[in-house]
Amino acid sequence: MLELYMFQILNGLGLGMIYFLIAVGLTIIFGLLNFVNFAHGAFFLLGAYLCYTAVSLTGNFWLSLLIAPLLVAALAWVIERVLIQRIYNLPHMFQILVTLGIALIIQEASVMIWGPVGKSVAVPPLLRGVVEIGDFVYPYYRLFLIAFSALVGFALWLLLERTRFGALVRAGSESTETVSLLGTNIFRLFSMTFALGAGLAGIAGVLFAPLRGAQPFVGPEILGVAFVVVVIGGMGSFSGALVGGLLVGVVQSLMTTIWPQGASLMIYGAMAVVILLRPYGLFGRA
Amino acid sequence: MSEKNPLPFAKTQSRSMLLWVIAVLIGLPLVLPSATLATEILIFAMAALACNLLLGYTGLLSFGQGIFFGAGSYCAALLMIHLQWGLFSALLGAAIAGALLAFLVGALAIRRTGIYFVMLTLAFSQMAYFLTYTLSGWTGGDNGLLDVPRPEIRIGDTLLMSLSDARYFYGFVAVLFLLIFIGARRVIASPFGSTLMAIRENETRAAAIGYDTRHFKILVFMLSGAVTGVAGALYAMLLHFVPLSNIDLMMSENILIMTIVGGTGSLFGSLLGAGSIVLLGDFLSDLWPRWLMLLGIILIVVVVFMRGGLWGGFTSAFERIKGSRKSRLPIQEEQP
Repeated sequence: MLELYMFQILNGLGLGMIYFLIAVGLTIIFGLLNFVNFAHGAFFLLGAYLCYTAVSLTGNFWLSLLIAPLLVAALAWVIERVLIQRIYNLPHMFQILVTLGIALIIQEASVMIWGPVGKSVAVPPLLRGVVEIGDFVYPYYRLFLIAFSALVGFALWLLLERTRFGALVRAGSESTETVSLLGTNIFRLFSMTFALGAGLAGIAGVLFAPLRGAQPFVGPEILGVAFVVVVIGGMGSFSGALVGGLLVGVVQSLMTTIWPQGASLMIYGAMAVVILLRPYGLFGRA
Repeated sequence: MSEKNPLPFAKTQSRSMLLWVIAVLIGLPLVLPSATLATEILIFAMAALACNLLLGYTGLLSFGQGIFFGAGSYCAALLMIHLQWGLFSALLGAAIAGALLAFLVGALAIRRTGIYFVMLTLAFSQMAYFLTYTLSGWTGGDNGLLDVPRPEIRIGDTLLMSLSDARYFYGFVAVLFLLIFIGARRVIASPFGSTLMAIRENETRAAAIGYDTRHFKILVFMLSGAVTGVAGALYAMLLHFVPLSNIDLMMSENILIMTIVGGTGSLFGSLLGAGSIVLLGDFLSDLWPRWLMLLGIILIVVVVFMRGGLWGGFTSAFERIKGSRKSRLPIQEEQP
């Protein structure tokens, strides 16, 4: 029994790292651009489908792990340039609604391209099989998932904390106007950040594909989970996204053994509890 | 400018507006091929009107309207199936269910403002969906709740009117819609309504004057929930069936899109918005199953180019014909 829980906690960590990647992208975009991107779930969806296409064309998962997020980021960059840049001066409500429209378009386009039935993606040959520790058996792919997401998270941390780009993003999150006055092309920074956030959702989508396949209507569900994570962890906080993501992942996984039907339900319950006890999230500032 | 909410201000709606609504209610079944389609429009207009109370008049963007719509559907259906409740008591039950859920969601979500409020309503919408899915013993889960009756209008033991004919049911829904429309206008014209608009314009200032804004927001949320619940119950009676999609996020988004396309801050706009989206869906869904994509495009176009929605577009066109250029969009009147 204990083993089963250990197994589920490990699963939860893997799932939680994926949630972290999604939420941190949402958070970075929010931090700088100050609006919630409702198309985030759609970018995740697109990552998963592009992974499917890349794998079925080339047979190479690793290539798709590189290409799919880049394509998602490129698309997001274009969308930002063409559409979102026109509405920065409007209240947040309108930005949310435009991204909701984008989400609907991407979702329906995905169904048109890939069909209404989900596509499955095989685990790459290198990562098939299980690792044995005593009596304990665990799939390689899920271990890889944890390690790779951690690596992406670390690289992102380096990018944000140790590079000029990161410094600009952080400075812009404090005061966009000041950064702009100091001579930075703020709109280029916006486009790049939007693309970066979408790319992170794309990576999460690729990593998720071998677990549950690419499902056409998973976008809203992922968006809901990402919102739960940022409500719990606090919006605009890197560590909040990490802790919130892991917490949600582990809660969901553990509940799968205890009450399978209610697993998805429980993460929203957890969110309600956090809101009641700490309205500003675990790491949020008032 | 950026601080200002460019939603059109509620104009003092004259009596002629009411005549317009009555004209539409009478005209709809005559123009449309089926009374069922006309009924569907009114049901969604009701839900959009309730959403408009939040979005247009209080400035609350709620992704949770589907919760109340679905709750109304399931609650009324279960009361009618298991307890054989009549028409009015089932509708009342749906209204109470909608209001109670709105109280729960509102009390939690309104603890946070702005962006968090929006995210919380969406998260609760997902929660309600999964809850309904999990309680499949009661709700039928994926298959939906079947065999929902459409009770007749009776007082005591006397049968007044059977609603099994689609046209009679339309008449009943139309009367109900008119009552709700008049009621909503009363609410908006009341001091309560003025307070809501004060919250929309500047919540901090409304609070500083001494209004308990949270209290007001929860009340309008409950009002909206009750009306949406009634709309959900009527939809269940119309279809004789409660599909799981009545409570999913797409329902919330649909209601929201109808409200925005029609025009926020105008109750008549909600009728326009619901009418155009339902008709568009009815026309396109057979030809093009992925017509939701068009809905996304329409939403973007309205937000970017036509923030007053259809109603705003009509009024500004009308003003232009009349030659008075001073009020193209109500926001421009507000310039000091």
